[in-house]
Amino acid sequence: MIRAAIVLGLALVAACGDLAGLGGATPALATIQIETAGAFSAVEEPGADPPALRVALVWGAQWLTEPLCILPPEDASAAALIAAGCRDPFGFVPARVAASVPLVPDGTASLSLLALPAADVMVGAVTARVAYGSLVIYDDRDGDGTLTLGRAYQLAGREDGPPDEGGITTEDRVYAASFVSMTEADRRLAFREGGFDPATAFYPRSGCGDPPPGFSIVAAGGFTATEAIAAQLRGELPQEDPARCETASTDEPVVLTYRAPAELHELACEERRNDSSIRYREPLGDAPDLTNRTLACVGIPDFGTGAANGARQLAVSGRADDSCVGLTHYVLRGCSENPLCAVPDWDITATPPSWWPCPQDAR
Amino acid sequence: MWRAIVVLACGVGLSRTSRADDGAQLASTREETWGYRSTGDVMVDGGLVVGFPAALPTGLARGVGLGVTSGRSLAWGARAAWVTATESSLPWTVTHSDLRLRATGAVQAAAGRGVVALRLGLGGTLVHESRVRNQGMRAGLSGDALATSTFAMLPAADLDVVVALHVAGPWLLVTSGGPSIDVLDGALHGGWSAQLGLAWQP
Repeated sequence: MIRAAIVLGLALVAACGDLAGLGGATPALATIQIETAGAFSAVEEPGADPPALRVALVWGAQWLTEPLCILPPEDASAAALIAAGCRDPFGFVPARVAASVPLVPDGTASLSLLALPAADVMVGAVTARVAYGSLVIYDDRDGDGTLTLGRAYQLAGREDGPPDEGGITTEDRVYAASFVSMTEADRRLAFREGGFDPATAFYPRSGCGDPPPGFSIVAAGGFTATEAIAAQLRGELPQEDPARCETASTDEPVVLTYRAPAELHELACEERRNDSSIRYREPLGDAPDLTNRTLACVGIPDFGTGAANGARQLAVSGRADDSCVGLTHYVLRGCSENPLCAVPDWDITATPPSWWPCPQDAR
Repeated sequence: MWRAIVVLACGVGLSRTSRADDGAQLASTREETWGYRSTGDVMVDGGLVVGFPAALPTGLARGVGLGVTSGRSLAWGARAAWVTATESSLPWTVTHSDLRLRATGAVQAAAGRGVVALRLGLGGTLVHESRVRNQGMRAGLSGDALATSTFAMLPAADLDVVVALHVAGPWLLVTSGGPSIDVLDGALHGGWSAQLGLAWQP
């Protein structure tokens, strides 16, 4: 009895591990090694302060461009408007910045992910969903330690409903990104949970195979806009070149090549609406400030149904020096969500404002 | 008329006699049911335990405990309790199972059907810690990156107020509670514990 008690006592005293409780170091769910290529000095945009380069992971949004930006322009003014106010319809659209670390002077960084992508950046059902992220190098000009995502400003209208949110200016400059657009080669961080639907059109890489479960680095060669539109008209996804597809673990370093910030500014711009819907506005009596903007009178897209019946809109781009591009849409007759609504919320076709530059609707 | 009065008086008298007999029987039954005997020095008790986890900064640990006490005004004994608590932070879900082992000494006094005691317990708490990295399984982690497990023995002490109430025969209703401390990472970690249960004192 006494011997048993002694043995038990020794065993209890010997049980001296370190309790961590709720504290202690948090192991990363994945760690991504970043390397750089090219000369930063060759693309550096002069700034007031020395550059503070950081690496960030940006999860992508499921985004659909508005029809005006993807349909063939009806004239030169529409083409100029699209060039000034539409982002790349096949470009990577950021939804959320997940992690950010400084780039060390030797041009490398180790990005530890402490949380999985949230459900709102994963596309698919809970049994088969995927998130894609772009790894970016940026100059943290506002010094907040993260990539600040900007948002396009829109001009005001005579509002009946709640006002649209305002724009956001970002001072940060993106100098490299692993995933810029589907129309060029990309290397993206994927997180897949459950199965994978090969028909998903979320940054599709059809022909490359499914991303593996969990975190991985996947690459694709990209496709042209013409190929993408043709495939869409056939009801298919554009095909990637299998020879340019890659799948690697997150242990493989990702090499980012420096580029001019002007080529990558959209990587720091989020979108107000992701479903191609448009908020139409009733023009004010006083002219909005159209300085340094591109505008065009264009037809309301009806995809050949004839529903527009010659109805036109005034589309105005943001300022040329805005950090993010976007369009403001004015119509003389319509509703905020549908310019062709049967019972319009406003109709000032008979008394357009004096500054209205477009011809009268044919309706 | 007189016959009716006599019959009524006999009826009332018989009724009174019967009621007195029932009362005596009821008192006797109550005495047998709720009477108690307390002749032994040894008391064994057990019950449900709640308290502050020995090594977690928050939470409510729940479990069971039992103990044995021997003595009258001064009593000695031993106690053991097993309680568990699970708490979460953003990265971790942590489960602590505490095995509380104490040698006890108590000062106690009888008060009517009850016994009131002040009990000091000294000993150790064996803590088993299980940590699981939140989202780790979804991310494909395995091994120590996903979950860890460890034991630790913490010196500990409890000071409890104990109230025991004789219920019937050798059975008592016992409740106790009070502050507790343990030594965690070289520092004192305060807490509390309480127990509600039954005791058997032959």
